Amino acid sequence: MTPTSALWLSIVLGACAQIFLRKGVSGKNAATGGGYLLLLRSGWVWAWAFSFAVATGLWLIALSQIQVSYAFPLLSLGYPVVAVLSMLFLGERVTLPRWVAILVITIGVAIIWKSN
Amino acid sequence: MGTEALAGKPATQVFIAKQAETISWHWSAFAAIALASTGHLLIKFGLVASAHTAVGLSTLAKIGHYLLEPAVASGLAIYGVGTLFWISAVSRRDISFLYPITALNYVIVSLGGKYFFGETVSPARWAGIAVVVFGVALLQLSSKGERA
Repeated sequence: MTPTSALWLSIVLGACAQIFLRKGVSGKNAATGGGYLLLLRSGWVWAWAFSFAVATGLWLIALSQIQVSYAFPLLSLGYPVVAVLSMLFLGERVTLPRWVAILVITIGVAIIWKSN
Repeated sequence: MGTEALAGKPATQVFIAKQAETISWHWSAFAAIALASTGHLLIKFGLVASAHTAVGLSTLAKIGHYLLEPAVASGLAIYGVGTLFWISAVSRRDISFLYPITALNYVIVSLGGKYFFGETVSPARWAGIAVVVFGVALLQLSSKGERA
């Protein structure tokens, strides 16, 4: 695997992890019964933990070979990617004002990383 | 969480579970972000403090050496507790709304780096911090009137 594909896979997988988590715990607040240990029964929660771990591993592989100043700003793409995936797979309604906010945050994080 | 699920659990675990279930998603999300940032800063502190004694160790020994460093270990533990609060928040709000808020992490870590490690925050970085804070404010406004 090339470092670049590791980088992109890490970003997409990291975003998928959040989608899996939402899928696994949505509406299952501790207050409605269950509790954290029962969450371990959900395959989605395991998928979250697994993707998170693999994404972190891929990220470290990418970082060892790609310039930090190039790799880190790309992390901010996780926000719009999560928004798109949440529309496709969770049916979340992302309104125009929310898109604008997400875009502003993405740019802000990219600036923070670029400034290093 | 039902009382039966908590029976016989350590008091700290009961406390954390009770906090997570009774507080609003606002506080869950805020606690998740604050704890993750604190965890990061503590881990950084521990890595910096023990770096000189890790010289010459193999990769595996290095990892073990760092994990045994109290600041690193407690940083990881705090990060873990933050994850529990994150789960609590995610169970209640859209992920497309919650996830971008975690960008505040960078803001807190930048400020923490400045105050605790004496790192300089460049003007460009301040600008980025301001943009992120503005974006999170917009995000809050965008969800006005939505069911919490």
